[in-house]
Amino acid sequence: MEFLTKFPVMERTTLMELKKGIDFAFRQFSRKYGDGIESFFDPLLFFLIRLEKLLLNTPWPLIIITLGILAWLGSRSWKLVVGSMVAFILIGYFGMWKDCMATVAIITVCTIMCITVGIPIGILMAKSNRVEKAMLPVLDMMQTIPSFVYLIPILMLLGIGKIPGLIAVCIYAVPPIVRLTNLGIREVDKEAIEASTAFGATTFQKLKSVQIPLALPTIFAGVNQTIMMALAMVVIASMIGVKGLGVPILRAISNQYLALGLFNGLAIVALAIIFDRITQKYGQRMQKHRGQKK
Amino acid sequence: MKIIKRLLISTIVALGFISFSISANAACGKLVIANQNWASAELMANVDKVILEKGYGCEVELIPGATMPTFTSMDEKGEPDMNPEQWANAVYTPLKKAVSEKRLIIANKAPITGLGEGWWLTPGTIKKYPDIKGMTAIQILEHPEWFPSKEDPSKGAFVGCPAGWGCQLANANLFRAFEMEKKGWVLIDPGSAAGLDGSISKAADSGNPWFGYYWNPTSMVGKYGLVPVDFGVKFAGRDNWDNCITLAEQDCADPKPTAWTKSEVNSIVTANFAKTGGKDALKYVKKRTYPGVVMNGMLVYMADNQAEGADAAIEFLKKHEDVWGKWVSSDAKKKIKAGL
Repeated sequence: MEFLTKFPVMERTTLMELKKGIDFAFRQFSRKYGDGIESFFDPLLFFLIRLEKLLLNTPWPLIIITLGILAWLGSRSWKLVVGSMVAFILIGYFGMWKDCMATVAIITVCTIMCITVGIPIGILMAKSNRVEKAMLPVLDMMQTIPSFVYLIPILMLLGIGKIPGLIAVCIYAVPPIVRLTNLGIREVDKEAIEASTAFGATTFQKLKSVQIPLALPTIFAGVNQTIMMALAMVVIASMIGVKGLGVPILRAISNQYLALGLFNGLAIVALAIIFDRITQKYGQRMQKHRGQKK
Repeated sequence: MKIIKRLLISTIVALGFISFSISANAACGKLVIANQNWASAELMANVDKVILEKGYGCEVELIPGATMPTFTSMDEKGEPDMNPEQWANAVYTPLKKAVSEKRLIIANKAPITGLGEGWWLTPGTIKKYPDIKGMTAIQILEHPEWFPSKEDPSKGAFVGCPAGWGCQLANANLFRAFEMEKKGWVLIDPGSAAGLDGSISKAADSGNPWFGYYWNPTSMVGKYGLVPVDFGVKFAGRDNWDNCITLAEQDCADPKPTAWTKSEVNSIVTANFAKTGGKDALKYVKKRTYPGVVMNGMLVYMADNQAEGADAAIEFLKKHEDVWGKWVSSDAKKKIKAGL
């Protein structure tokens, strides 16, 4: 009867030894390879710092005008151009310019990194069922595992700063682009592929000229989602020493500064909406070119 | 559906019985204790829980907390009833006010001996630069090149306090008071407790130099043998500290260089604690003083075994009867021992 009411747990000391063993092994690993892995990411750090400095040293009107131009190129909508410029002016006026630029820098680098890593993985998944089966649980894990859990090993390995923060953000933000690249390529019409095969296209030609262009709107939705998720992670990244809009939010949480938290939170929302609308509009326009009007 | 309903009802009834049986033998009422999010506070909260429950028949609920939120809540709402480890420096002025208005009671002025905040070095720093041994902070500040910052190696990295902690403001103001920016330093915000600890263990594990803020007693100090740094200046008076160093930057126009204020840690309780807990519980809190060495030992135990506060409390009560035996009446001691 006792067996049924009391769950047979692993013995306490064994369990403790197991936990200690895992910790010890990882510590050994990080002592041995930590510095090497750190220097592997040095170019990325260099790029990130450069970008942040560039954004901070450029006169603010220039940045707002550039933003307007980018918004126009992406969306061709005056409403959006004016809206995003006003949002940035407000962010600056409320004293969040510096933090906002730091956040924009890390989000930009993170998005680039996610695209360069995510799209090839997505293509591989679309090409091979086996890779897809192997990757899906990994993606599930990346999206659902509480971020604090993987912050611990990242901290042990890389310490605090921009790079560990960037990696933490990317772990959370890369799954949508992988998933949607995979989905987009798998959803390409069979007839289109058959036609290209009939014309004697190689696998690479098929991929480059048929599958990816046809899947582009879906892939773009993935990019959009990745940016959104990266922005959502900004606060978590600040917990390991990334500068940006997340830092004042952390300060606000621990001190109950309602207004400070609200301002910076809304700044993140504004960034998210601007990025989202621009990339979405851009994606829609790409679809129009191909005459797939709905 | 019916089965689920019946199950739910029966659990509620059963729970009612359990809580009834606890409160039935209660000499004191229901208390809420803040379980703050660092190891020593966690240990103390859990030890208090066991002792007050087993020894004095209280019903104790632990709720999560942290320095500022817990104090604000106790000050404004009178809840939780006790904070076993309130670092007083961060809340000096409002605490004084609350005590004079009899809303809060400082039940124990020194729950742990031998503690303090300040600036520390990792032992690896001294190994790499033997000259640094015995240097004061003022002298170390002349050598930012010993602590190159990862993001800008031409600057020295000084690791301050995570955003939102009381000590963050103090460190930022001291950073200005010592003119560290001019001397070539950057103030690194580690972002969180995990970030601060991570930066230390990373540096200590790889033998890299590390210079920053920390406090004792902690497992980090015990485990990595962190070395305290003398500031090289005297404490420049309460006025400078209370009305400038601990305030936000805009409220502290002219911070003067100063040593860190002597740390004051209290166990504070609300007026309600004195009422529902009764005299005996209050007497226990008054007597409860952990020797610094014992506390450090427990903290290293917790860190090494990844023990939670509840497990560590049992370990402490089993191992250090000579310590806690003096805090409680012999009658309560018997009950606690029986309850372990």
